[in-house]
Amino acid sequence: MRVRPRFVIAVGATLVVLAPLAWLQQASLLPGSYSVMDMGVVDTGGAALGHHRHEDGVGRGVDTIVETATDPVVHVELAARKDGDRYTLNGTSPGPEIRVEQGQLVEVRLVNESVPDGATLHWHGVDVPNSADGVAGVTQDAVPVGGSFTYRFLARQVGTFWYHSHQLSHEQVRNGLLGAIVITPPGGVGATDVTALVHIYDGTRTVNGRAGDSPAAVGPGERVRVRVVNTDEGPMPVWVSGSEFRLVAIDGTEVQGPTPVRDVAVLVTAGARADLELVVPPGGARVEMGGSAALVLGAASARTSRPARTLDPLSYGTPADIGFDPAAANRRFDYVIGRRPGFVDGWPGVWWTINGGMFPDVPMFVVAEGDVVRMRIENTSGEVHPMHLHGHHAVVLSHNGVAATGSPWWVDSLDVPDGEMYEVAFRADNPGIWVDHCHNLPHAAEGLMAHLMYEGVTTPYRVGHEAGNTPE
Amino acid sequence: MRTTYRVLAYLIVFLVVVQAAAIAYFIAGLGEWIMGGGVLDAATMESESTFFPGLIGIIIHGMSGTYLIPAVALALLVVAFFAQVPRGVMWAGVLVGLIAVQVALGIAHVPVLALLHGIVALAILVVALIAARAASGAPVGPAARADAVA
Repeated sequence: MRVRPRFVIAVGATLVVLAPLAWLQQASLLPGSYSVMDMGVVDTGGAALGHHRHEDGVGRGVDTIVETATDPVVHVELAARKDGDRYTLNGTSPGPEIRVEQGQLVEVRLVNESVPDGATLHWHGVDVPNSADGVAGVTQDAVPVGGSFTYRFLARQVGTFWYHSHQLSHEQVRNGLLGAIVITPPGGVGATDVTALVHIYDGTRTVNGRAGDSPAAVGPGERVRVRVVNTDEGPMPVWVSGSEFRLVAIDGTEVQGPTPVRDVAVLVTAGARADLELVVPPGGARVEMGGSAALVLGAASARTSRPARTLDPLSYGTPADIGFDPAAANRRFDYVIGRRPGFVDGWPGVWWTINGGMFPDVPMFVVAEGDVVRMRIENTSGEVHPMHLHGHHAVVLSHNGVAATGSPWWVDSLDVPDGEMYEVAFRADNPGIWVDHCHNLPHAAEGLMAHLMYEGVTTPYRVGHEAGNTPE
Repeated sequence: MRTTYRVLAYLIVFLVVVQAAAIAYFIAGLGEWIMGGGVLDAATMESESTFFPGLIGIIIHGMSGTYLIPAVALALLVVAFFAQVPRGVMWAGVLVGLIAVQVALGIAHVPVLALLHGIVALAILVVALIAARAASGAPVGPAARADAVA
């Protein structure tokens, strides 16, 4: 039988259309498990490549980078459970607030009672030793049901932080495996100290687990520090009805010379914290969390809608020494976020890219201890991204080319809207392997996750379903 | 193959209708929710929880528009190579092109481009109808004539 030319042409045309797609799909498949040491496009930021590959297995394992101080002062046991869709710690969500004084050695033992996929705890904003960072597959294995893991770190910083699981975090954090950790200076902060951990459960915004208005037991004339923690996936505007206030800390670092402001919103991005201080007026005040929940201070007062203005930390407060010279940076990185159609682990979609590469072809930012690092974070992806670097605080140098003129603006979670660009700098002073990702956690699961790799550091842990570690 | 072509083309017509209905449901649900005291900010929007009736509309619109309709259009193009539909490959190619433009407009995050997104939707609907009707008539080409004789 003669094969019709038309049929041959049709088969050829089909191959022309489908073969490249099939090839791209197959090429995107991730191995069952992999080490982050082998993952990504090595970027040395303009410095010579040192020893980072460790094919010979030489190097400091992340599990050996531990807190050297001994004799824990604060010991906490947290039991993680899954009840239906909800995750709890010691039976509650949010989990118990951990409150310690600066200088105390903290020891937290996580016991997984019934989280089937395993769990970890990440100390968001606390620059802990790498072994205590809690990223499944990078700094530890996810803790299986019946297992436990002990985190030890010295409370060097002062400020508002939070903890959450970094195993299947896009699901476990959304459904409650989180809590606040507050480190106070010895003697307190000179004000009534109120934590306002904000989380959306099933579409309802809550403050410390309570929907709507949450009253705080404070009276008129009382000075109050409100520690706002945004544990959700996107930026939340916070403003104060009925009073002026000062933005006294961002991401656990005190703002220098914070001036009183009013009728202005503070944008608290996903994962970020903002400490607001105010003196409760006789008529009361409200700290509005995006307008759908509030912390009520003193007498009941009227709610207001979001002020038109948003406070810009770039020019707020007074300048101060940051302790290093960003002009002397010896590593310069770009973190450019884009978006295009393609495949990630076999799934078609319109996925995020970092410096043009789709996961896992995202950068591995290589540094050495002692480096001064500058990073340009640019977003061309169409959506806002709250960018979170583990283990370090970076200082904002400029925003869309405008240099910072206010208080040193130290961040661990930076809101980078579409079409905008920030330049930040930090000292590489905390050796380890640190993920640097979008804290809209589903975005991280979609591949918006790179990592910072110190030369001479290795990890024995592996990411992937075969290893049981899914940090996103 | 002609029947498959026709069914796939009508499926695109149907899915475009679903897109219009779903996004209207979302807008109506959002409006009602806000008028009833609901407050929407980025954190709430990204929380991936259903907080008002109609939210499912945007999910359907996004999933169907990004994945399902492009997949059906690709299938239509492949079927077109085999089905001897008058200008069948051309219409399928035009649909693939229009849908690629439509997806790009949909994720462009430039509000004014949404105007074009609405117009291109109607173009997809019309072209899919033309393609479906082209596959409804008598077969053409030598093979079709042979079929007709047999």
